[in-house]
Amino acid sequence: MNTSLRNFVLISAVPVLLGIALAAGLAWPRTVNSEPAAKEAVKGSAPKWAKVSVDLPVSQVAFPPGNGSVIANAYCLICHSAGMVLRQPPLTQDEWTVEINKMRNAFGAPLPADQVEALAKYLRSINGQSPKGPSAVDGQAS
Amino acid sequence: MSRINLSRSPMSRRGFLGRMGGAGLLGLFGTSAWPAMAGTLELPFVNGRRDLATNFPQKAAMILQRTRPPLLETPFEVFDQGVFTPNDRFYVRWHLANIPTEVDPATFRLNIRGHVGQPIQLTLDELVRDFKPFEIAAVNQCSGNSRGFFNPRVPGGEWANGAMGNALWRGVRLKDVLDRAGVKAGALQVRFNGLDTGVVPQTPDFMKSLDIDHARDGEVMIAYAMNGALLPLLNGFPLRLVVPGWYATYWVKMLNDIEVLDKPDDNFWTSKAYLIPDTPFANIVPGQKDVKMVPINRMLPRSFFTNVHDGAVLKIGQTTIVRGIAFGGDTGLAKVLFSADSGSHWQEARLGADHGKYSFRQWEVPMRLSSSGPHKWMIKAVNSAGSAQPDHVNWNGAGFMRNVIESVSVQAA
Repeated sequence: MNTSLRNFVLISAVPVLLGIALAAGLAWPRTVNSEPAAKEAVKGSAPKWAKVSVDLPVSQVAFPPGNGSVIANAYCLICHSAGMVLRQPPLTQDEWTVEINKMRNAFGAPLPADQVEALAKYLRSINGQSPKGPSAVDGQAS
Repeated sequence: MSRINLSRSPMSRRGFLGRMGGAGLLGLFGTSAWPAMAGTLELPFVNGRRDLATNFPQKAAMILQRTRPPLLETPFEVFDQGVFTPNDRFYVRWHLANIPTEVDPATFRLNIRGHVGQPIQLTLDELVRDFKPFEIAAVNQCSGNSRGFFNPRVPGGEWANGAMGNALWRGVRLKDVLDRAGVKAGALQVRFNGLDTGVVPQTPDFMKSLDIDHARDGEVMIAYAMNGALLPLLNGFPLRLVVPGWYATYWVKMLNDIEVLDKPDDNFWTSKAYLIPDTPFANIVPGQKDVKMVPINRMLPRSFFTNVHDGAVLKIGQTTIVRGIAFGGDTGLAKVLFSADSGSHWQEARLGADHGKYSFRQWEVPMRLSSSGPHKWMIKAVNSAGSAQPDHVNWNGAGFMRNVIESVSVQAA
């Protein structure tokens, strides 16, 4: 990730994370750790079941502005936060195309076929590299 | 980020290694694995800057790989604190973003159905009361643990080495639960599903299957507790499958549905995802095609340094107890070998308490450096089936099963 992108992400993320940490982090007690004494909470007696209700943090990180960011923000964020994309190693445009088509074909991302190229160019522009040899990207889902 | 605690927690479970600490540790730590600034750290690969997140429920500081669905990595210093990974530092990995944020044990049911004599539905109380308790210590490791170190890089969760953890799991044997429903002749596989679902209806529901004999081996279990406490929601509350010795993709979280199949499972996640080359260490050459692919399965042996980091500077002439953790993968450790000279000579490390063949085990070696160096130290686990960590990096396109010998470069001053 280039410096300006990193700065953008950090600037965007820090106040949000701080806010969530204060709002949600403080509200939830830490679980019992793994020390032997804690084992007795379960061992030898029935577990004390109670309803568990949590709030999961919501990412406020958007894709950095650029030609194609509207597509990324509209479709990628349906299923996952932007950080997963921004933390990938730099990929070539062809490799980004493989990843995008994996999202469409394996996971059902509703991205129209005629926007794949524009999205791949955009991702190449924010976190990309030029081809240096045979691609290592095999497109398998995991 | 006001709640990040970068200090090292008190260690009350360090066993025979407990005498370490204090002055002997000062100066051992290099800089590469430590936070570059408050609230972030730099994992040692390109695009490796990560936030430390403290805003996930029932979790202390974790390396943020993805907010939604959560991917949270255990900071590596946690592994120096003992062989059991605390629940609030245990790594988190979800595939699909519709994760229930509220689970009510009063209404939760575990279904066992399919190719069985009598489908059954169990409450949590029934599961605990009606079946014999079973406990096992076992490492849960993501198939893609250490993917960020792959060269050439591959896309996916860009983990360092912290997508793993060890816990004492408590619950019931899967075999006992299957027997209650009565597995019918001709059963081939058992498929497991949890409460999580995809955001769009086209996304394949996350399900994994095991062969029937594996499912009934008396070790695969349904856990309701880890390390003496109920599971954190992000680790699968109220129930998760535990598959000792196998990669974590099979350890289905929020497990609520068990289906016995009389034909091979053809669902996406079992038949098309999490496939590895059918080669030793799942190793191929980048770009290699036409290799037979099979579902990922048994874990490989691994070992790590936990109190010495790459780039550490030690005091010349002073003896240091070098230590770490190791595990055998799908079977126990036979030995852990240490080299102080880039692998030319190896010596056996002393091993800590044995918590069973699927657990982390600590190792230690006293070391004294008489010259400034640099010195390349290496650590290698050998399991009881004779499988040793390889000298050469194993590689595949999905970034699975890395288990090359780990090394650190240290100097003395």
